[in-house]
Order: sequence, then structure tokens, then C-alpha cells
Amino acid sequence: MNREEIKKLVNASLDHESSTKEIADRLEHEGVAYDFKNGFTEKVVDKIFSASKQVNQEVEFVLSMNYAFKRIALTGVAAIIILMLSIFIMEGSFSINSIFGIGNTYDESIISMLTGK
Amino acid sequence: MKESYRQADDNELIRASLEGDKLAFSEIVNRYRKLVARTVKGMLGDSVFAEDVGQEVFIKLYHSLPEFRGEAKLSTYIQRIAVNLTLNEIKRRKRFFSMFSTKGNNEMYEFEVADADTQEQREASEIVSRALGSIEPKFRAVVTMRLLQGYSTKETAEILGLPLGTVLSRLSRAQEQLKEIIEKL
Repeated sequence: MNREEIKKLVNASLDHESSTKEIADRLEHEGVAYDFKNGFTEKVVDKIFSASKQVNQEVEFVLSMNYAFKRIALTGVAAIIILMLSIFIMEGSFSINSIFGIGNTYDESIISMLTGK
Repeated sequence: MKESYRQADDNELIRASLEGDKLAFSEIVNRYRKLVARTVKGMLGDSVFAEDVGQEVFIKLYHSLPEFRGEAKLSTYIQRIAVNLTLNEIKRRKRFFSMFSTKGNNEMYEFEVADADTQEQREASEIVSRALGSIEPKFRAVVTMRLLQGYSTKETAEILGLPLGTVLSRLSRAQEQLKEIIEKL
């Protein structure tokens, strides 16, 4: 097929009525063929499957961290509850003084401790 | 897991790919790589960007397979992804090149001349590539669908997500532009 015929085909493809399937096939037959470089498929597949493996590892790590955090958090909450209960039992209230363990200390004794008199 | 999926239909390939079968997805890529290449290289020209966009199309396809309901043909679905990603790339390149150039159409289309056996084939490839590269990108998408993929105007409208009237008017405008360009080639 010479240059002029190719040009005609290109023009004809833009006619609304023309059968472009036939034109596309003829052009492909005439050497207007497109493809990606060799190794394209392997590159795509490698990218997808190595990425999903990495994502899986990341997800597993996050899940195990989440699990560890929950266990630590639960133990912490339990410890705080026990501490609060023991304060309440010993001091009889949740005032700031009882939390800091100075509920039964008299002001005078603190002054004498500080001044040494 | 099968050893070869050459005879398998698209639905079987999709099912196997969803189960993580590498071979099945390789077959999808092999089956549709030329279809994607025609769209991406037709619209972008031959460049490393075209290879990257081509890869991106199949990566996106793989991740969107769980949402594929089979209402459209797999080829149409892939074609839509290819067109959208290529248009995004054209926009990105326009933005990038506009930072360095003050000219209106700063997009850089690289001509694809296919590896051909004969001089005639090389010429044919060059004419088509130069013709595509010389028209505006918004017309190029329509022309690529018609000229390289052989879609009807209705199919072109469906794939590009445009009303049929818009496709027809773009075809007419592209035809006007191409007539002048082709004369000079």
C-alpha cells in the first residue's frame, strides 16, 4: 500500500459512516502495529504480586502491633483500677490528698518537718 | 491452579486472578497488551511514559477486578481505564511542560515508528503517527478509538464517556485538522 492509500484510509476512518474495524485491521496489516516492549507482561505481574506480598507483610505487622497494644492497654487499665480501689479502701475517698497519699498528714507536722522545729 | 490459560475465557481468567493466580493475570495482560498499547501510544506517542502508563493500566485493572461486575466486556473496561489514565498523563505533562514553555500546546508527542519489515510499513506507521501527533489531544482520543481500535462512533462515545453528539463533532473537527496535516505529509 502506498502513501496516498494510507492517507486515504486515515481520512476515511473519520467518516461517521465508515466501517473503521476494517480500516484498523488493514492498517495493522500494513504495519501500523503497536505493542509494548519485550518483558512488559513480566514487569506488570512482578509489580503487582511483589507489591501485594509487601502489603500483606505490612498488614500483618500492623495487626500484630494492634494486638500487642490491646494487651498492654488492658493490663494498664486493670492496674489503674486496682490502684484506685486500693486508694479508696485505704483512704475512704478519691480526693487529691488521698491520691497523693497525704490525706492523714497534719499541716503542723509538715511545717515542723520542713523547718526542723 | 492451571498450567496454561490460553484457552480460558475472560470470566475464568478474572475468577482465577481474583484468587491470586499469577498465570491467569499474565494471560489477561498478554491478551490485551496490544489493545492498551494502541490506545496509550496512539494518544501519547512512543515514549517511556507510554510504557509506564501501560503498566499502570494493568495494575489498576488488577486492583479494580473485585468491582468488575461483568456488565461491560473486559476489553471495554480495560479500554476505559487506559483512556482515563492516558488523559491524566497528558494533563500532567501539559502542566509540567507549561512551567518551562510559554507556547500554547506544550505537550511533546513522540512519534512511534513501529519496527517494520519493509519501507512501506515504516512509512505507513510514520504517516499515522505524525497524523495523530499533530491533532489536539481531545480530538486524538476520538481518532485513536476510530482509527487504531476500529470502534464505531457509539462504542467510542461509551468508552470515552461522552455524548454521541460530542464524539461526532470532535470527529468532524479532527477531520478538518487532519486533512490539512495529511496533505503536507
